[in-house]
Parts: sequence; C-alpha cells; structure tokens
Amino acid sequence: MIENFLLGSSALFGDPYTLAIFVFGVLGGMLFGAIPGVSMLTLAAILLPFTASLTPAQGVMLFAVIYCTGTYGGAITAILFNIPGAPENAPTAFDGYPMTRKGLAGKAVGAAVLCSAIGGVASALVMMAATEPLAKWAIRNIGPPEIFALVFFGLAVASSVGGRTIWKGWMSVALGLIIATIGQDPVGGIDRFNFGFSDLAAGIAFVPAILGFFAVSEIFVQAEKTARGRYEAPPVNMEFPSFFELWQQKIAVIRSVFVGFFCGILPGIGATLAAFMGYGEAVRWSKNKESFGKGNIEGVISSETANNAATGAAMIPLLALGLPGGALTAMMVAVFQMHDLEPGPLVFYNSPDLIWVVFAAMFYANLSILFIGILETKTILYLLKIPFQFLAPLILLLASIGSYIGRGLVLDVMVMFGAGIIGFLLRRSGYSIPGIVLGIILGKIGEQNFAQGMQMVHYDLFDYLSRPVCLILIIAGTLTLASGLHKAFKANPA
Amino acid sequence: MKLQKKIAASLVTGLLVIGASSANAFECKVKDAEMAKPGGFPDRALTMIVPYGPAGGSGQVASAMAEAVTSLTGVSINRDHKSGGSGTVGMTAYMAAPADGYSVMEHIDDAASAHALDSSRPNPATDLIPLVISQVTFSQIYIRTEETRFTDWDSFVAWVKAQKGKATIANVSKEGSMERVTMSFLTDATGMEIQQISFDKGAPRYGALLGGQVDALYEQPGDVRKFLDSGDFKPILTIFNERPGVFADVPTHREKGMDFEPLLRFRGFYVHKDAPADRVEWLKWAFQRGYCEDSYQAFNEKKFMTVIDSYRDTAGAIELINTTIPQYRDVYKNMGLDVK
Repeated sequence: MIENFLLGSSALFGDPYTLAIFVFGVLGGMLFGAIPGVSMLTLAAILLPFTASLTPAQGVMLFAVIYCTGTYGGAITAILFNIPGAPENAPTAFDGYPMTRKGLAGKAVGAAVLCSAIGGVASALVMMAATEPLAKWAIRNIGPPEIFALVFFGLAVASSVGGRTIWKGWMSVALGLIIATIGQDPVGGIDRFNFGFSDLAAGIAFVPAILGFFAVSEIFVQAEKTARGRYEAPPVNMEFPSFFELWQQKIAVIRSVFVGFFCGILPGIGATLAAFMGYGEAVRWSKNKESFGKGNIEGVISSETANNAATGAAMIPLLALGLPGGALTAMMVAVFQMHDLEPGPLVFYNSPDLIWVVFAAMFYANLSILFIGILETKTILYLLKIPFQFLAPLILLLASIGSYIGRGLVLDVMVMFGAGIIGFLLRRSGYSIPGIVLGIILGKIGEQNFAQGMQMVHYDLFDYLSRPVCLILIIAGTLTLASGLHKAFKANPA
Repeated sequence: MKLQKKIAASLVTGLLVIGASSANAFECKVKDAEMAKPGGFPDRALTMIVPYGPAGGSGQVASAMAEAVTSLTGVSINRDHKSGGSGTVGMTAYMAAPADGYSVMEHIDDAASAHALDSSRPNPATDLIPLVISQVTFSQIYIRTEETRFTDWDSFVAWVKAQKGKATIANVSKEGSMERVTMSFLTDATGMEIQQISFDKGAPRYGALLGGQVDALYEQPGDVRKFLDSGDFKPILTIFNERPGVFADVPTHREKGMDFEPLLRFRGFYVHKDAPADRVEWLKWAFQRGYCEDSYQAFNEKKFMTVIDSYRDTAGAIELINTTIPQYRDVYKNMGLDVK
C-alpha cells in the first residue's frame, strides 16, 4: 500500500500539469462549496465536458479533489452566516452559527477546518487500505431495512435539538417529516400533496428549504432586532480553538469518523446522512444535551468530521463496485465513461495507476483543507464586520440565486421565502429550525428505505426485526424516544 | 466461483466484441452533410431541457447529442436539467418555454406512458415534434453470475414459485412505468408471484443485486454493462421478439411461451409543435445528422444501443410513440388504473 501511495504521489507531484489541476480542484471545490446553493455540483457539471481533454487519472482525480474540499467549503458560510453551502453542512450551522453570534466564530471555523481535515484524511487512509473488502461487506450486510433503522435511530436523538421544550423539538421534526412527504411517493411514484403544481412532483428541494429556514429566517430575526433598535453585530474573534479544547473532543472526532465512514460507504446515501448522524450521535453521548443547538463546539466538530469522513468512504462503492454514493460520485462515473473506462472491480486490475493517483490526491486534498483553511479563515472572518444593512441584501441575493440555480424554477425561490417566513414565526414560538430541516432530509431518506425494507420483508414486522442490525437500532431508538418522553413529562407534568 | 465469474466475463466481453463489429455496418440515413440556416436561425445557443439528472441515462444521451450537434453545426447547446416527478417537472417547464425553436427537449418513453394514463398530459407525438429518437433498447432479467439457487430462466421461475411470494426483484419505483408494466406481463404469463422492490436510482438497485439483498434485477443492458463486463451479472431472459446477436445465448420471452409485445425504452429529442416550420426542419436535420456523428455513434455503441436499431427519424418516432400509447392504455385499463 505504501509503495503504491508513493507512486501515486510521485505521479501527482511529478507532473506540473497534473499538479495544477489538483490545485485548481482544491481551490475550486472550496470556493464553490462556500457559495450557498451553487455548490461543488455546479462546478463539477461545468467541468464535466472539459475532462474529456484530460487523462482519465487527471479527470477522476479532479472530481475527487473537488468532492473533498467542496464538502468542507460549505461549512464556512454555515458558521458565519447560517447559510449551509450544501445539505451536508446543515448540521454545522446548528451550533456553528450560534457560536458566531456569541463571538466565537474563530473557534467554530477553526474546529471545522481541523475536523474536516481529520475526517477526510482518516477516511482516505481506510479507503487506501481496504476498498474492495469494505465495499463488498457493506452491500452484503446493509440494505434498505438497516438504513431505515439507522435513520430512525438518528432521528430519535437529534429530534430534541434546538427546541424550547422537547415537545416543540419533536413537533418541529414532525413538521419536517410532513414536508418531506410532498412529491411523488417512493414506492408507486404517485403524486402527493402537490396541490396541482406539477413542479412540486419532485417534492420540496433540500437547498431552497435549507436556505429559507436558516438564512432567510435569520435575516428576518436580525431585521426585527434592527427595527426595534436591538441589533448587535456579532463580535469578531479570530481566536482558534486551543489544543486542549480540541483534545477534549477526541472521542467525538473518533466517533464521527466511524459514523461518517459507515454512512458514506452505503451506495446512494453519502455525506448528508453522515453529517446528520454524526451530529445526532454527538447529542446522544453528551452529558450536556441541552447545550446543542445553542453553540456547542462538539456539534460543529461532529458534523464536519462525519461529512468529510464520508467523502473517502463514498469512493469505496464507486471504485470497487461501480456504485456511486451521491450526485458528485455519479458524475465521476461519467468522467470514467468519457475515457472508455467503467468504475468497478476491473478498474483495480486495468488502471491501478489511476486509482493510486486518485487516492493520493484525496489524501493531500484533505490535508490541504487544514493549511488553506487556516489561511482562508483569517481573512474570511472579516466579512462579519460588514454592517447588517449591507450584508442582509447580499445574503438574500446569494440565497435566491442558490435556490434558483439548482433546477431553474421560480417555485424554488418561492419555497425559500416561504420557508424563511415560516421559520421566522416558528423560531419566535420556540420551535426548532434544525429539527424541521432534520425531518425534511432524513424523512426523505427514511421513507424511501422504509418502503423498500418493508417490501423486502413482505410487510412482515417480525421478519424485519429478525435482521440483527435492524433490531438493535430500532430498540436503541425506541429507548431513546422513551427516555426523552420520560424527561419531557418530568419537566412539564400534564 | 471466481473462475465461473471470469469465464462469464470473458464470454460476455467476447459477445460484446461481436456485437460491436456487427454495429460497424452503420449507414447514415441523412445524406445532406450541410443545411442552410433558415433566416439565420439559430443565431444564438439552443437550450435543451433534460427532465432527469446529468449523471443518468438521459443526462448522458443529452450530453452526447449536444456535443454531436455542436460539432456538426457550431451551435452551442446549453443543457438545463429540470429533474423530478419522473419527467413531469421538465415537461411542464418545456411546455411553458417560448415555442421559437431555441428550446428543445430530451425525453424518454415515460412521456408517452404519462400521456396514455392521463391524456391531459402532453402527447409527445402531437404536442411536440420528435426531432429524432436516438436510443431504443430492450430489457432483460439479471441474476448474479455466482448464483447457485437458479441458473437460468426456467430454474428461476421454478424457484420463485417455490418461495410462495417471498422472492424479490429490484425494479424502478413508478407504477405504470415500462418496467413495472412489463413485470406484470411476466408474472401474469408465468404465474410467478414475486415481490418487486422499488429503487428509483440505479446505484442502490444494482447494489441490491450485487449484495444479495434481492434475488434478481429488471434492467436494460446498457445500464448494467459494467457488471456484465466484470462478470458479476448475467442475463437469463431477454424481453424482445428475437435474440439480439450480442445475447445469442439468452432466451427471449417469446421462446419461453410469453406472448406479449415487448415495451421498449426509448430516448429522443423534441421541439414544440408551434415552433416555426423552417426552424423545425433545420433542427430535424441537425439532430438526425448529429446521430450520425462519430462521437455519437461511439457513445451509443458503448451504451449497448447499437444492438438493435436505435434510430427513428420524425416519422419513425411518431409511429413508435403512436404504437406505444394505445399499448400502455390497454395495459392500464387491464390493471384497473384510472385512465383519463
């Protein structure tokens, strides 16, 4: 493995053109990942035709590098402005933005930079060591029933985040789950709740909903404060987290690497579930659950470690089996095909050079997050000094473009503003915005896998629970819900 | 078992080479290598609405055709992916776009089946003008090559019947789709009771068969070519009236006593019926001639789309769509669906 890695590294750094493509991918991924709604997918779609003129190794490597740094890039705007660059950065905003409001933006961004790098490097190392056996293990042992159980387990814990009371947290998640049912159902493709709008046949898109609930509602909140003369700009603090602070979070980091890696390795799942599950597990194991959603650095660490850990893991089913884990890895299939290659078992035998250049590039791309991220952070934090009356229209403009650009539908911009207004009103009443977003994203993944899982077990609940992973996760999730219910009654007896 | 996979892989690869060489007999049916632009049209880039994502079959064919047309005419084509709702979102957006010839659309047979179920939805043969259908393919049933419980169609049917409804097959999710309707033909004809597992994306669907989460897979050969090349999957039934040369050793549904007309997957390019006639003629030439470009032919060959005749000009496309719609309508009525 080490010899192959060194060969891949020398191929990467030995050719100036390949190195230039690597640097372009690193910077481009960070930049596009940081622009709300535009995302690394836009960059990848723009670059796709141009990869035909590159060598196969350069083309696939470019996309792999964009995937690594783009996943991190969205964390910055999530933390500073409550605008997640992509759905996988949404949990980062849960605690990252409250930290910014408390004047701890430097610590939050610093933690995101470091933990994205750690998560990415760790998963790149595992990817290099055991791609084939891990991919085969995952598809044999984890199917839709297990993925639904995992989602249920994650929802059970994270549902209490951010609400004024546990009840309000749960109701927020329920609202998110209801919103997730808009659009065609995942079994029969039958239209539901689209109120005659054919554009709603695909459901509520994640990006406009996230931008609305997070960014637009936040602008309304701050605008109200400004109108009442109570607005205070967040203090800008460049202080990074100390070594001791980060060392205290070592368990959270290790746990999130595992969680992120596990979610990333599942075909069709990817970094979004990884980030939410990583965050959920941080809440589950914390002794101070109430602090989540209010500026707990562990929330940022868990989310960012997990989503970058998923990047290396998502390459495993792609390279070993030809099964992409998400939209960007699906585009990588097209890059392979442009060069008459197919990702899958044969690529290890037919194109080992390509594989090791990609592995090495992903390793270095994750490392570069650390160095470039620190430099970037030192400058980007100054954006917080822009007065609110200038910043708010800029954010609204960016969010509107981000909402529209995905599908080119005005409806998505309307959804964003609608979500912003609903989010603003619900926040005033103590409901949880993270809970709603959690419900929307996990609801879609969960419903689909529940439907597939039930079909697989012929709608027999006993058959479903006879799968050990399902049984354990469903019991654990149910116990978590029961414990939450007990606490809720204790805190507020009927 | 590995040896079995290697043998299967080499056999499939060998057959693919034979299939590829037979496809070399391609002859372009559009003789004019050039056509004057009517009134200067187009003097700017065209927009191609694609109602599915960029990485899937539609995204890829749209990209290959756009490249071919641009290389032929020098006119750029911007692809606008409006995915969702099994093509509904893209179709709605397209019908709302100006009918000036600058907007074209890629769509698949789902447009025909959607109209068959609900006649208020656009009919791709009358509300649109087909410029070209550039991919036509058939479906197959696949199992794992290393499967030991059954090895061919007959043993598969026998095994499924013995499971009394517990056997599973991965399929697409949309009720009334070509895949679902054909599966109902198969189960009716054989008396099999098999649970279809709904996957709306390819990767989890193929992963489910690879990992043994399901017993079989319904798919088109171009979409699983890499698994055929690697020897992981093998076809046990071809749903087509004759054996395509590449799959000469795989029986067809007719040979197995199933008497139904196979439904085909087709992907093509359309323009609004109200677009100016001279512009439509130029677009027909550009897309039909684009089909003949080397780059497009290479793409189709890679995608197994030269195994049967993939080309339909406007008249051929209208005929194919007009045959398909009543076929679906009859099936839907027999299935008890509310045909509007």
